[in-house]
Amino acid sequence: MKQEPEEDVFSERLDLSLWGKIFRRAVSYPKLLVPLVVSAIIIAGIEACFALVTRWTVDAVTAGQAFDDLWPQFLSYGGLTLGLASGVWIFINSAGGLANHMSHDIRKECFQRLQELEFAYFDHRPLGWLISRLTSDCDKLSRIIAWGSLDMVWAVCLVTVVSIILVVLNPVLGLMVLAVVPPLVVVSSFFQKKLLLSSRETRKFNSQITASFAEALQGLRTTKSLVREEENLKDFQGLSSGMYRVSLQNATQSAIYIPIVLTLGSVAAGVSLWQGGLGVLAGSLTLGTLIAFIFYAGLFFQPINQIAQVLVQMQGAQAAGERVLSLLGTEPKITDSEEVLAKLAENGARERPPEVAPDGGESQIKTLEFRDVDFCYEDGESVLQGFNLQVKAGETIALVGASGGGKSTIVNLASRFYEPTGGQILVNGIDFRERGLAWFQSNLGIVLQGPHLFSGTVRENIRYGRPDASDEEIETAARNVNADGFIRELEDGYETEVGEGGDRLSTGQKQLISFARALLSDPQIFIMDEATSSIDTETEQMIQKGLETIFEGRMSFVIAHRLSTIRTADRILVIQKGQILESGTHEELLAKEGHYHTLYTRQFGRSVAALT
Amino acid sequence: MAERQNNLAKMKPQRLVWQLMEGFRGTYGWAIASLLFFTLINYLTPLVASATIDIVLVADKEDVPALTQGILSLLGGESFVRENLWLPAVVMVSLTIAAGLFSFLKGRLAATASDGIARRLKDRLYDHLQHLPQKYHDKAETGDLIQRCTSDVETLRLALSTQVVEVSNAILLLTIALPVMVALDWRMTLWSFLLVVPVILFGYFYVGKVKFRFKEVDEAEGQVTRVVQENLTGLRVVRAFGQQQHEIEKFSVPNQQYRDRSLRLLRLMSWYWSISDFAVLLQQGIVLFVGAKFITEGSLTVGVLFAFMMFLNTLLWPVRQMGRILTELGKSVVALNRLGEILSESEESSPTKPRRPVGERVRGEIVFERVSFGHREEQAALKEVSFHLPAGETLAIVGPSGSGKSTILNLLLRFYDYRQGSIRLDGEELSSLERKWVRSQFGIVMQEPFLYSKTIGDNLRQARSGAIMEDLEEAARMADIHETIAGFTSSYETMVGERGVTLSGGQRQRVALARAILQDAPILLLDDALSAVDAETETRILDALRGRRHRRTTIVIAHRLSTLEHADQVIVLEGGRIVQQGTPAELTNKEGLYRRLWTIQNSLEEQFAAANPS
Repeated sequence: MKQEPEEDVFSERLDLSLWGKIFRRAVSYPKLLVPLVVSAIIIAGIEACFALVTRWTVDAVTAGQAFDDLWPQFLSYGGLTLGLASGVWIFINSAGGLANHMSHDIRKECFQRLQELEFAYFDHRPLGWLISRLTSDCDKLSRIIAWGSLDMVWAVCLVTVVSIILVVLNPVLGLMVLAVVPPLVVVSSFFQKKLLLSSRETRKFNSQITASFAEALQGLRTTKSLVREEENLKDFQGLSSGMYRVSLQNATQSAIYIPIVLTLGSVAAGVSLWQGGLGVLAGSLTLGTLIAFIFYAGLFFQPINQIAQVLVQMQGAQAAGERVLSLLGTEPKITDSEEVLAKLAENGARERPPEVAPDGGESQIKTLEFRDVDFCYEDGESVLQGFNLQVKAGETIALVGASGGGKSTIVNLASRFYEPTGGQILVNGIDFRERGLAWFQSNLGIVLQGPHLFSGTVRENIRYGRPDASDEEIETAARNVNADGFIRELEDGYETEVGEGGDRLSTGQKQLISFARALLSDPQIFIMDEATSSIDTETEQMIQKGLETIFEGRMSFVIAHRLSTIRTADRILVIQKGQILESGTHEELLAKEGHYHTLYTRQFGRSVAALT
Repeated sequence: MAERQNNLAKMKPQRLVWQLMEGFRGTYGWAIASLLFFTLINYLTPLVASATIDIVLVADKEDVPALTQGILSLLGGESFVRENLWLPAVVMVSLTIAAGLFSFLKGRLAATASDGIARRLKDRLYDHLQHLPQKYHDKAETGDLIQRCTSDVETLRLALSTQVVEVSNAILLLTIALPVMVALDWRMTLWSFLLVVPVILFGYFYVGKVKFRFKEVDEAEGQVTRVVQENLTGLRVVRAFGQQQHEIEKFSVPNQQYRDRSLRLLRLMSWYWSISDFAVLLQQGIVLFVGAKFITEGSLTVGVLFAFMMFLNTLLWPVRQMGRILTELGKSVVALNRLGEILSESEESSPTKPRRPVGERVRGEIVFERVSFGHREEQAALKEVSFHLPAGETLAIVGPSGSGKSTILNLLLRFYDYRQGSIRLDGEELSSLERKWVRSQFGIVMQEPFLYSKTIGDNLRQARSGAIMEDLEEAARMADIHETIAGFTSSYETMVGERGVTLSGGQRQRVALARAILQDAPILLLDDALSAVDAETETRILDALRGRRHRRTTIVIAHRLSTLEHADQVIVLEGGRIVQQGTPAELTNKEGLYRRLWTIQNSLEEQFAAANPS
């Protein structure tokens, strides 16, 4: 079984250079980072001082001082209180601000990078994986950096200040109380790690349970028709008792942890009372100091707990950090070369006639040629070897053949979504890597198997083809592909919301809208991966008419399944194992009685036999 | 099945909780009892220190309260303690250990009870959802139901394991502290509680007021995820139209909104925390200085002041959280109500007739007599549909989308209940038969079949639990999918879905068909089941199905008319009515919808035949 392994990583060692890199990002927000550190230090100092004011007051009154002379203590206390409250306000705002700004900015960078990366990057990375990089990972990292630094600074300062105070007040007793710190550190880091691991385990079960509920609901008809309700419940109970087990384990761990820490605190308090009491009896210690010691003894737990927690969380989030940084560090492989960028810069600035493209080359695409093209995927699987093909403007090329033969690779190469690993693809005789990428791709119109729409209205979806198109142009495009009729019949016509992924429309309707979108962008090259899945006969006819409008006068590549599409192509290529087995028009190929003939008599032969 | 009839209709939340706690009430009670002991001991500990300070160290026996004197005499009296000053220290530590023991018991018992309740609640919801009628699921939103079954249950679990315990803790702290504090010094007690009630009220109202901001942040986060998801699924379209810049701008809107809303919430919460911190410290300051005043007046001892300060330390921090916890508890009441809503829905009704033996098989004769089915949102209507399908024969249903084809199958499977007309299976009225038994008589393959995220083999075994490998392979061969499966690296052990292979539409359909074949039910329903399979393969599969030893009653819905030529009868539906009925040959020769579709589909192939003289 394949699990998502990266979620389970708990790094035993902290990668300091990685955290250094992440922390360097935090340094670029000095307006938030400085008040954060300063307020953490101030708060730690103030918290350490409260017990001193108490000691001061107690000593003053036991020494018989009058209440009216206590105003310095009174003022100090009030000052400390106000200082602490405003410190808390500042640190929440600066730490939270830092976390949110950082996570916003990292997320933005990641999103931008994803827009630039070539398709090969997405081939082996599932959608859910990428989404969690941009959501939970970004949040997790920023939170640890912001709140983690705050907790660290605060905790370290508090422990240091309190230790100094204790040793200054009474070196011997101070060291005795400080003796509980090492065991506190050991216990805290041990349990924090346990707690992190078990709470992770709980979350894992929880997401499995969520998935299981989703599956139960989505597959309900299937479950009911297979009468699998009891067995499914049994499977589910396996998960829910697993979750019960780990959740209880987590609760038990913290139920053990807290008493141990409290006991350590009370040992320190007990030692203060015993040894301090002896000191008071001997007259070497004031009562106020004794009380201050007992208070301080209980003050260590919080900061040490925090330090342990931050360190453990960093270990737990290290994998997330690596993933985000590696995404940001991945350079897009398909980009404009230096020369092309120079040409773009040179030509972009000046006026140019319509026949000149932004990169200085011809703006009209007259020919597209594959010359000795080799292509293999990142995993080494070779798809094309020495592939040759020349297509002229206005030609419609249909690619047919068994799946896995390389048809999609050919159109992906023609779109420059991938680049050849050997050989060249030439636009008007010039290698397309010497032309501007954005210019070339903006001249493509692509309609994919399973047409994708974005949430928004029908009009917005068509306009996606050309953002500056007017409403009339949009409607004309829709009319030309036969989509206008059904769009007007929708509830709100062109303003109808299509739903997420367009799922409020039927497949045929989505297909027609994607045609309109492609037509509106008026591409020089049109590419289509035809869907086989069920469209009823009448819709298929409508789609065919729409297609013919688009094909007119355009260089088109179609991965074709429907006979109706194949027949209208100027040239049909039978592709198998990355080779062109046959090429010609429908009639020519049938007359040849070769592969195409076999392919199609096989597919339609039965119906033909039935007719005769 | 009578126990399935639930009686939860519109139950009050507190009664629902009480009912859900059944079997765990004792455990929960012990948890609260442990909490009580924990609190008691926790108050005793500072008193030991206080007594030691006052009597042994200050030796000011006159003004010391009776309570502390009592404690010291328990320790062996003043002079004994003075000689053995380690004793109070050891007592303090032992008391803490004892308190820790109770704290452990409290945590463990509360978790046992609340996790147990959550687990049982989840099991019950799962079971219940599986038995709710299709009608309910048509209306309900899957995402919403999942949300309720997971995060609402979690909210409830947290309420029971943490919030209720925290509230009890605070109440116990206050009620136990009060008499002890009054016994020590009543004036100090008054001063100690000066700000407690305002702090609780402030927290409760403030958090209540900004509650909706939390929801706003969650929504903004969801929006970010949605935009990323949509961008990544439509990646090719984005690139194809060169719209990367537009997408980046589109993303910046929810991204900024998420940040800004989080910042606004943060600002609000920073006021909350700093104000409540201020109030708590102020309260401690009041006690310190009022105490100091009383000491200078000679009416209070240092030890008692110390005890009050320690008490406040344990008391104030939980009290400060109270406002927030009370609002959280409010949330769990909402969650409980939402869960109660699901649980109070009635499950599918059961028949009055006695249960059928599980193994019993029907012959497969199906009769529809003037069946009408009303307008429901998701289901197309049927009007006066009648047909008779003898056992072992094949019926084909043809018609445009929305004409009611699938409704016929849904009624047969008893997903919906018909009210008008009669449907008979082997001569027995369908509505009088047990649903599960009826369903076990049908094997169904749908156009977009559902596969579980298990291995392919396990998916097939869903149809017959004990099936051996040979059975699986035989069924897969008949569905023309064996070769494909054998071609995967892990063969039948390959996982389906996100974590394994992504099967194409046609492959999914064939796996589902293999599942139905393995199920070996007397009646087979194919709802456009091979639409994504090419024509040649489809014919091969249908031939194989026909060639089986026992011919099963079959109902086929298909768009490709050429695949229906072997049907014994065809009905053509339009707008829920049967408009044509007959054998395929009859209908081809008659004017009507069937022939119109037939002509469109065949014209292309005729041309093909013309171009192909062989």
